[in-house]
Amino acid sequence: MSSHAKIRLEHQQRCIGCYNCVFACSIEIFSQVSATRTAVSLKPCSLGDRFVVSICTGCDPAPCVAACKPEALRQDKDGKLELLKPSECERCETSDCAEACMTNAMLIDPKTNRPILCTQCGKCAEACPHEVITYKEGKR
Amino acid sequence: MNHLCNVLYVDLKEQRHEIVEVPELFEKFLGGSGLAIELLLNECPSGAGALAPENPVVLAPGPLGGLFPSAGKTVAAFKSPVTGNLGESHAGGRLAVSLRLAGYGALVIKGAGSSPTLLEIDSGGVSFRSALPLKGFSSLEVERGLRACVSCTRMQSIISIGLAGENQVAYAGVNVDRYNYFGRLGLGAVFGAKNLKAISIVGSGSIEVPDIELYKKTFKKLYSEEVETDKMAKYHYTGTPANVLVLNEIGALPTKNFQMGRFEHAEAISGETLGNDWLDRKVSCPLCPVGCMHVARLRPAFAKGFEYEPVDVYHNYESVYALGNNLLVKSAEEVLRLNHQANVFGLDTMLLGNVLAWATEAYEKDIINQTHTGGIMLRWGDTDAYLAMTENIALRSNSFYDKLAQGLDQTAEAYGGTEFAMTFGGNGPAGYHTGYASVLGTVVGARHSHNDNAGYDIDRGMLHRKLDVDRVLKELKKENEWRYLLTSLAVCLFARRVYNERRVVEALKAVGIERSVKELETLGANVYKRAFEFKFREGFDFGRVRIPRRTFESVTANGRLDETVFRGMLERYVKTEFGANLRK
Repeated sequence: MSSHAKIRLEHQQRCIGCYNCVFACSIEIFSQVSATRTAVSLKPCSLGDRFVVSICTGCDPAPCVAACKPEALRQDKDGKLELLKPSECERCETSDCAEACMTNAMLIDPKTNRPILCTQCGKCAEACPHEVITYKEGKR
Repeated sequence: MNHLCNVLYVDLKEQRHEIVEVPELFEKFLGGSGLAIELLLNECPSGAGALAPENPVVLAPGPLGGLFPSAGKTVAAFKSPVTGNLGESHAGGRLAVSLRLAGYGALVIKGAGSSPTLLEIDSGGVSFRSALPLKGFSSLEVERGLRACVSCTRMQSIISIGLAGENQVAYAGVNVDRYNYFGRLGLGAVFGAKNLKAISIVGSGSIEVPDIELYKKTFKKLYSEEVETDKMAKYHYTGTPANVLVLNEIGALPTKNFQMGRFEHAEAISGETLGNDWLDRKVSCPLCPVGCMHVARLRPAFAKGFEYEPVDVYHNYESVYALGNNLLVKSAEEVLRLNHQANVFGLDTMLLGNVLAWATEAYEKDIINQTHTGGIMLRWGDTDAYLAMTENIALRSNSFYDKLAQGLDQTAEAYGGTEFAMTFGGNGPAGYHTGYASVLGTVVGARHSHNDNAGYDIDRGMLHRKLDVDRVLKELKKENEWRYLLTSLAVCLFARRVYNERRVVEALKAVGIERSVKELETLGANVYKRAFEFKFREGFDFGRVRIPRRTFESVTANGRLDETVFRGMLERYVKTEFGANLRK
């Protein structure tokens, strides 16, 4: 079990739907504001319902890694996802990795058609005003 | 600024759209109010009827939308069916960010559909769909129905009208993403006249920033100021209904149709009571950590056996004033029920409250009776009567309600009681019975809104002191102009203490727009002038603005107002700012 800090959903019910986590992620990974190219998503069916934040929790073992047939994807000991063989990933025409994610947290970048990988950087947690997402060390 | 110099033009009659690049307009006005008013001046033919197909609807986000906290407002400009003149209304929600992520800097809607229409807008353009299945639905139902549950990885905004808008009630609003409204000046009626039931905007693109490090640094500065200082604390904690007790204390809480400035049941409808007993949660606009939208939970029983219907009610101070103290409605639950009724039918809670207050007083004075109200006995504080009246107004159920649906000025003109028909410049006032600056500010603001210049704040700064006319006029001018700069950036006015001159310059610089404080001040002043150019073009005349007699009879927080003094102040302001003399 890793002792490296990981993001986790701590107080889901406190979400006010402000999107700071979503955009902090798109800025970090792609240097642009986007609700589409991001590893963090916010899912409201109706705004009258509770907000559902979706993040990669760095699960161990990770079903996305296991589902990757060309073995292009790996997870390091800290939960961070990495693309070992980008060319293999590029050739892949399925999205087994994203489909394997139990919480539908893994998203496919519509520009590149490749998975958007969470690096457990914690920027989403830092941006959250209500500790919906936290970034902590230790056992989950 | 690159792709955001686009204006998306939509023609409802021809079912066509066109994307036009106008970089010079964006360069000159930046966005928001400035851009929207300029597009309205260009697109609205002189003398067009507010409910005629020629009246365009302009929606403009600002250059900081989707990039910085509390800068995601959208400004709507149109001709108002309430005043027959400039209609300008601002809303939060996801609209600004959705438009920008779809790649549009502004949206202009022209013409009218031949049947109810749903516009679906994304980066690829526009689809025109029949909205017949949505006809008669409230905006709350439309929002739930159209929100795409399947794909979450995009920003979607849904704006729509309810029955009041469909029936072209002059002060119908447009709901934005369930908890926000283009509430003021009747955009909902304009949508209704255009047969435009709803618009769904999907933003699946991106916004690039020129210098990512500078952007991150600037973002952090603004974000920290919002969460770590008390500059926005009021909006975050108690919310705007915190005003109830504050204003009651100083005798500025409009009560019984502005007859008094104190309400004996203020405590029971206060922000504190709402927060303690009814608040369910707070909701935010994209990128704003404040979460000012206070949503209460009602649970009306629909059958015996603990059968409750959960009802979420977005509320704010202005709704509480208009549907609470000013009607002598004396419990938070009743205020929320009335507020919900207005939300369901899609009415501006403020002018609705002013209309109901006039009607109650007119009933009391035998100007109207049960033959007008359709059998409803109208008494102060009678929530059930007000609920029924609201429905009748939305449905325009007889000739009296049809008149009420046209507006308060129109009703009082037809039935009498103009001396207590509380409007200034045709628009219903906000809930501040504070003194000269509040009334004058409402008259000289382009929207006839307290948000134009916050005259009430000037009054509060002068409590129990001698009236300083020079100061009032100077501050009103300054606020009228600077606020037009902020709304041209579509910055939320709740964040006005965060977005001071220095921060505004920094934020713009971080997105590649270099402007000096002086240039920004000039822009604000210019937009204020342009707004009045539209107003004068369409027949606005300061000399003909009706000030109800009640204004000079009832006691404000700064005492009774003298009409001669007030007229003198108005005359001086108008002469200095517009070089015009008032006609007698």
